[in-house]
Amino acid sequence: MSYKLPLGRKIFIAINIPLLIGIMLLSIVPFVHLLAVSLSSNAAASSGQVKLWPIGFTLDAYQFLGQKAEFIKSLGISVQRVFLGTIINMLLVFLTAYPLSKTNEQFRFRTGYVWFFAVTMFFGGGLIPTYMIVKETGIMNTIWALILPGALNVWNMVMMLNFFRGIPRELEEASKIDGAGHWSILWRVYLPVSLPSIATIGLFTIVGHWNSWFDGMIYMNSPANYPLQTYLATLVTAINVKSITIDDLSALQNLSEKTLRTAQIFLGALPIMLVYPFLQKYFVKGITVGSVKE
Amino acid sequence: MNTRTTNKRRLRAELPLHLMLVPGIIVTLIYAYGPMLGIVMAFQKFKPLLGFFKSEWVGFKNFEYVFNLPDFTQVLWNTFFISIMKIAFGLLIPLILALLLNEITKNWFKRLIQTSIFLPFFLSWAVLGGVLIEIFSLKGPVNGLISAVGVEPIMFMGINEWFVSIIIGSDVWKGMGYNMIIFLAAIVSINANLYEAAEVDGAGKWKQMVHITLPGMAPIIILMCTLSLGGVLNAGFEQILILYNPAVYESADVIDTFVYRLGLFDQQYAPAAAVGLFKSVISVALVSLSYYLAYRLTNYRIF
Amino acid sequence: MRRTTASLIVMIMLIVALAACSGNDNAGGNNSKQGNDPSANKGSNVSGNQSDSGPQDPLGKYEEPITVTQVLAYRAPEEGDALKGVTPETNGYLKDLKEMLNIDLKYEWSVPADQFEQKFSLAIASGDLPDIMQIDYNTYEKFKEQDVLADLTDAYKNYASPLLKKTIEADNGFALKSLTTDGKLLGVATSGEGVVQIVWIRSDWLANLKLQPPTTIDELEKVAEAFVKNDPDQNGSDDTYGIVFNKNLLGWGFDARGAFYSHGAYPGAWIKDADGKLVAGEVQPETKTALARMQSWYKNGILDKEFALRDENKASEDIVASKVGIAFGEWWYPNWPLNLNKDNDPKAEWIPLMLPSLDGSAPGKTLISRTVSSILVVNKKAKHPEAAIKMANFYLELSKPKYAVKESPDFKGAKNGYIYLWFQPRFYYPKMFDEVMAKVSDAIDAKQDQLDLPDDFPGAGEAQSVFTNAKKFFENPKDNAAWGMWYSRGARDGGVGLSKKVVDEKHTVYNEYYGPPTPTMLEKGASLNKLMIETFTKIIMGSAPITDFDKFADSWKKLGGNDITDEVNAWYAENAVKE
Repeated sequence: MSYKLPLGRKIFIAINIPLLIGIMLLSIVPFVHLLAVSLSSNAAASSGQVKLWPIGFTLDAYQFLGQKAEFIKSLGISVQRVFLGTIINMLLVFLTAYPLSKTNEQFRFRTGYVWFFAVTMFFGGGLIPTYMIVKETGIMNTIWALILPGALNVWNMVMMLNFFRGIPRELEEASKIDGAGHWSILWRVYLPVSLPSIATIGLFTIVGHWNSWFDGMIYMNSPANYPLQTYLATLVTAINVKSITIDDLSALQNLSEKTLRTAQIFLGALPIMLVYPFLQKYFVKGITVGSVKE
Repeated sequence: MNTRTTNKRRLRAELPLHLMLVPGIIVTLIYAYGPMLGIVMAFQKFKPLLGFFKSEWVGFKNFEYVFNLPDFTQVLWNTFFISIMKIAFGLLIPLILALLLNEITKNWFKRLIQTSIFLPFFLSWAVLGGVLIEIFSLKGPVNGLISAVGVEPIMFMGINEWFVSIIIGSDVWKGMGYNMIIFLAAIVSINANLYEAAEVDGAGKWKQMVHITLPGMAPIIILMCTLSLGGVLNAGFEQILILYNPAVYESADVIDTFVYRLGLFDQQYAPAAAVGLFKSVISVALVSLSYYLAYRLTNYRIF
Repeated sequence: MRRTTASLIVMIMLIVALAACSGNDNAGGNNSKQGNDPSANKGSNVSGNQSDSGPQDPLGKYEEPITVTQVLAYRAPEEGDALKGVTPETNGYLKDLKEMLNIDLKYEWSVPADQFEQKFSLAIASGDLPDIMQIDYNTYEKFKEQDVLADLTDAYKNYASPLLKKTIEADNGFALKSLTTDGKLLGVATSGEGVVQIVWIRSDWLANLKLQPPTTIDELEKVAEAFVKNDPDQNGSDDTYGIVFNKNLLGWGFDARGAFYSHGAYPGAWIKDADGKLVAGEVQPETKTALARMQSWYKNGILDKEFALRDENKASEDIVASKVGIAFGEWWYPNWPLNLNKDNDPKAEWIPLMLPSLDGSAPGKTLISRTVSSILVVNKKAKHPEAAIKMANFYLELSKPKYAVKESPDFKGAKNGYIYLWFQPRFYYPKMFDEVMAKVSDAIDAKQDQLDLPDDFPGAGEAQSVFTNAKKFFENPKDNAAWGMWYSRGARDGGVGLSKKVVDEKHTVYNEYYGPPTPTMLEKGASLNKLMIETFTKIIMGSAPITDFDKFADSWKKLGGNDITDEVNAWYAENAVKE
């Protein structure tokens, strides 16, 4: 592959690669710093001495977060949530984006439907009414409270819709001639050629479900039902120094808000970092639509 | 007779499309339209104990109250400025990055960079806040660098212009991986045949980018711009709350921090709801406008 | 064929999903109906029957089990040795409550403490109020206004144990009086006098520079200057400064409150002027004097150039890193972060001083804000309002030395599953810290091996733990955590000890307003507060001249301050509980 490149291209590569490496460092260095903080002793972390290497190396923060039975339980709930939630979200995105990706000629009521969904991106009732609806629909304190209210992410759906539109019409026409209906066109034509966008939206959905903690706090009636991020948030806030009052003051020696918070980030980001490289192959590969043309 | 049969046939053909929408519509009606009843709060003197039906109606009083607060105009302007900048750079930089990354041929390198750029997305502002203050402090690394070239140290976080730039820059940095992925997905979704054809015609990489890649990405780019406009009155609550300080209130106080402070004295639901409704109306107006413009100018319906 | 399979799968999945929620819907609906109706009917009858029955056994066991509901602001247990696997539902307190009183305590929900307020107001909005709550004063006012609170007059009179009465009425009835409306006692609470401001100072630095502990504000300024210029840590580099502040000038620690108070300035408080009227501290001339002084401090490097950019946690880092030698603040600093500073820098020594004097005569006066602590209230619909009082008796019973002291055979503590954080109502004797300090100091002075605590000693567990830590510290002076406990709570010259002395010697000024926020406060308070903090910060940092203070005072008055002053004085004329 290294045969003759034009000069301009060479210069471009000579600039491009260091530039990207620079941006990579810019993204990684703060991460490394925080990792070092999470592995440092409380005194070192609290004095702000830790730079890029841990001082007074200790796994206390991770042990504190991970040692409890609740950790495993909430991990299980999170896995369940991500699994179930992602499947439902993706199904709804496919089912909704497909009809709406048709032209107005193919699907006459399209515009009305689109605005029906789009409006919800901008108007919301706020926390109290949402809470009341969740309560009235009887899903409070169940895993469905974490999944159903956001089951259709309109933002993702609109994005998917636009990706669907980029699929050459010929593909659809060809299968229509073969007698395929809409269900099988969606299933067997659209989805297989949309892997990069499915991977993108799937990733966002997984990340979203994995990282959200506030809904767990609000809709679950007991910490026993918390997903992992909610549980971790509990631990961190529970010893927040700001809550030092006359009533309760503890002498937590080797843990601080700082080390715990940072440790929490890594526990939170870890699974996604594991999933990400796996999904990434769909971004890099690209789809040669041309190979299936008539 | 003829039109009726075609109508019937069209309905039959479209029926599966309607059916596919049913689950989405149900969920949206219940969990998105249901809570919108709460918008009435904006017109009430809302008290949680009384609920939506018994709280006193006050017309537009909540709006008047918020709009008449002494520095509302300035806060509104700050919000607009910060969020427009965030939107502009938050889209432009990931777009450039995606294009640059697309030119990398080594797969492992591409993945490495892509993964690392995505990392900041996972950091919360609660943690990043401290790091940023440290980096830009008088004794921090940035001032270390500039004093090495003989410039007087600058108190970045205490000077309005610098502070706003840091707010915008750090937000763009944190979110760039996210948007870059969307742009990358758009790039790889472009029909590869087009590039082959262009190469046969002898078009260089630059020409390929201008004539194939960018036009191919156009729908996604327009879409992202439009959707971002919907958030034009959200300048980033958590970030600003953690980073700002009294010395830069005049440029960094935005609608959300403003409402937050109103609520500190007492949980004021009604003014918050009024501001929320105001934001929604502005969003819808802007999004409709850009939807319309995009349709008029490029004949493309964003959604 | 395949088409149908695919669509079938999709449809089935969605139907299952929807069925699952509608199923739950029914269950939830039924439950709530069964739960609400009977309680609404019976509520008044039962309490009516018992109201005229005279004094009752404070810890009498119900013949039939009764159920009371609560909600819980959850915190992880503080005790390092807390029994593993205990949950709020299996808490030892709940078990004993059932055994001793036959009360079943049910939590409708629990949520981490700092989300509590939000979840609580959501629950209120959707119409779920538990039977028994402990709430803050503002919530109390709202509940009172909406008429949802039960009358506790008889329940308190007939059921409160002597220990509970002693605890509640330690303030000579101040709290009970403020919680009585139209002859009805709607809540039970203790009241306290808030926390005293003192100054913590690096005594090893004073010794290094051969300086005396400062007693006047001028001396303090000289010491602070020396801390900036004369290398107090003798490490040969110019890396220290004088006084720590943070961006919250009136925050919860490492802030400027003490510095203001030392100048006789009380921003944020309502103090009595010469004519007996209440005036706002932030617009008084003393505040201007204080700001002018702080401006000079900033200019001379006594304050960190970037104090206004950093919050309390960031400011505490400077203390831990031995960068600063003076911190205005409260008694608990040795618990955090001074102990960490000692971990980090073994030479570090801290002592507390009274606020410096302005004119050299008496120490600076600290601000005392009378506050009603969290208030025990009962939902009007609850069947057994007296159960709340009995539960308060029960909690105090279990904090008696017999149960609270670790060495006791009947010990009921975190180690065997009794998590006090998960039980309400909890009351503390308002002067508990003072008594604990006196008790522990006496025992240490007398070289006792054990604390002997009288049966009705308030805060036995606390005293024991301070005593144990004191012993630990004297055995191993390097145990900085133990030092923190001892020096904040135990030592006569430590945090609590000195604070008590400040109050005993009456170096105090009272904040005379303790009512709920007035209408204009609600409307304009946020704007006025921003104006104040912005102006003060700019003046201190020198980006605004000190004359801006007068402009601020004018706008403050015009923008609502005058109205607030009127409202506050009207409240004072009507409501103040005068001794």
